[in-house]
Amino acid sequence: MESIAEKYSTPHRQSKVAIGIILIILIRQTIKAFWPILLSVFIGGKNGTSFVDYIAYIALSFAALNVFVSILTFFRFYFHIEDGAIIIDKGVLKRSKVNIPFERIQTINFQQNILHQMFGVVSLEIDTAGAGKAELTIDALNKEEAEAIRQFILTERKAVIAESEETDETSLEDEKGEVILNLGISDLIKIGVSQNHLRSMGILFAFVFSTLNEITDDITGLVESQVDGYESFFANNQWAVVVISILLVALISFIYSNISISLSNYDLKLSLKSKGLKLVRGLLNRQEISVNKKKVQVVSWSDNPLRRMFKMYTLQIAQASSTDAAQLKSKIKVPGSYQHQVDRVAQNVFPAEFYREEQKNKVSKLLLQRIIILSGVVPALIAQTLYFAIDWYCLLFLLWIPLLALIAGMYYRKRSYEFNEELLKNNRGTFGNMYELLQLYKIQAIQIKQSWYQRRKKLANVTLFTASGAVKIPFIDLNQAEKLEKYVLYKVESDKREWM
Amino acid sequence: MNETFENLPVSIDTLPDLPQNDFNPIEKAYLKVSLISSGVFFVILLIGAFCLVYFNSDEIDKVVLAYGLSIGSIGLLWLANIIFVSKAFPKKKYALRERDIIYMKGLLWSTRTSIPFNRIQHVEVKQGPFERFFKLNSLKVFTAGGQTSDLVIPGLSEEKALRLKEFILGKTSSDGVDS
Repeated sequence: MESIAEKYSTPHRQSKVAIGIILIILIRQTIKAFWPILLSVFIGGKNGTSFVDYIAYIALSFAALNVFVSILTFFRFYFHIEDGAIIIDKGVLKRSKVNIPFERIQTINFQQNILHQMFGVVSLEIDTAGAGKAELTIDALNKEEAEAIRQFILTERKAVIAESEETDETSLEDEKGEVILNLGISDLIKIGVSQNHLRSMGILFAFVFSTLNEITDDITGLVESQVDGYESFFANNQWAVVVISILLVALISFIYSNISISLSNYDLKLSLKSKGLKLVRGLLNRQEISVNKKKVQVVSWSDNPLRRMFKMYTLQIAQASSTDAAQLKSKIKVPGSYQHQVDRVAQNVFPAEFYREEQKNKVSKLLLQRIIILSGVVPALIAQTLYFAIDWYCLLFLLWIPLLALIAGMYYRKRSYEFNEELLKNNRGTFGNMYELLQLYKIQAIQIKQSWYQRRKKLANVTLFTASGAVKIPFIDLNQAEKLEKYVLYKVESDKREWM
Repeated sequence: MNETFENLPVSIDTLPDLPQNDFNPIEKAYLKVSLISSGVFFVILLIGAFCLVYFNSDEIDKVVLAYGLSIGSIGLLWLANIIFVSKAFPKKKYALRERDIIYMKGLLWSTRTSIPFNRIQHVEVKQGPFERFFKLNSLKVFTAGGQTSDLVIPGLSEEKALRLKEFILGKTSSDGVDS
């Protein structure tokens, strides 16, 4: 171990592969900023050749600039280890020197995209506690080197922390852990098939429309010009066009969601350790995320009607994160977990003896009534004013009421919460199911909210704020809400355990 | 219904009740601050409406109608706002307890937010331009629970705001957030 401290006591550069990786990041950024222009050149290329040349020169000079900047960035990036801290000195125009003491480091994660994998390097991400710009990335390091550095930092950190607080902290990376979930090809197919296809269709539509919008203001004009020759066909076979385009969109979004889900969750491995969890996944972009169980705020699992056929859940583990920017990474998503795997995770991150079924507390029946009246009856009655425009057809809108009553009934039946002295579980869902589980003492704030109507009926909405999002319980007895409030406050104030 | 509460190791009834009547009101002068700041908004709206009518019509009878409609409706909204703000004002109140801070507000939607001291990240005393004129301050309490759970108690005298801040900071450090 000493050798690492010695080896890195002087400023070090990253692996040379970093030049390429920085270059790719830069190119990606450039393309992200300018892609509408590029696309318009490809589409409208026939308009004038001099304009295309002009754009090409600009693109070329941008590329050259990117190469230059990435080389400079590489040569102006040093890191070394000194006095129990990792120090990074970087920046070409804006120089900065960051010093992170080991004891402030929360997790060290590895990330590999396809380029990293080709050259056997990893990018090292250091996540620290505390607000502000807390995250630090070293773009490319040899895998063995990175492992050694991580090992070194974590053991050093353990020593430092043990000195000050004498906790028996064994770091997450020390032990191998038990793999409880490993997604194979058949699992990936099941997950892909049971995706929420409506949502991916929505994403696809939004993407296509925003793209078209940026290129041209005249979408209909564009479509018309593209389908010019087929006019008579379309005019005669309108129903066929509609059916074909719906099928096409459905097929594309089906394939799209299957591919994206398989790529990001390829060979997903979730392992349990005494101090938390570790997740490895991805084909092109291999991610490795460690979660300390102290930092886990909410564990939730959900399904949809399709996924329920496979008895699979999407498991989410939300942890307190240092910055708002890191929100995405602070939520770990594991699609395709079976119930027993969910149970294992919950028992691992939360005290196992309290993870049990409790009496389900229903919410007030008045919620059902309110939903039916406010979003069923009222809109349907308002729609009756359309009588002047569409005659008696407006009565069809009355069908909305029983339909909504059915949906609201499904929602109401699933809406309940249960809790014991340690955990609170929130059950909800309309077509699918969603379960949220949290530790009472990790709650940050509690809010009781009442509308004018609820005050009259002595009901209240309760919101429990955690460090990774809020959990809401609507329409419960005010009396019950106040008891819950009292108990949560007592629990938070008397519990001395760390909450992150 | 209350069975779950009875299963707990601690009896709920032995826990201290939330204060019902001894909430502290905020300074009366803050009502003026909120009335003035919404007043400024409505005056700008009135000027805008006036200009719009002034520069757009020529016929005298139409002008009168337009003035009446635009200024009348804005005036009505303003009046509603004044009534609403003054009615809602007494609902804003706060309480400090041994280990937490509680703030209540809201006329139509009443909310009560409680934050234990050992979950408070930091505390800030702020002052807007109108507040400065009346020598008032707002106390902002931040938690890790995100923006919606952060508390803002407006309408505190400077001396009180600073004292509250000191008190809370003293509590958070003695309770030990991280240990």
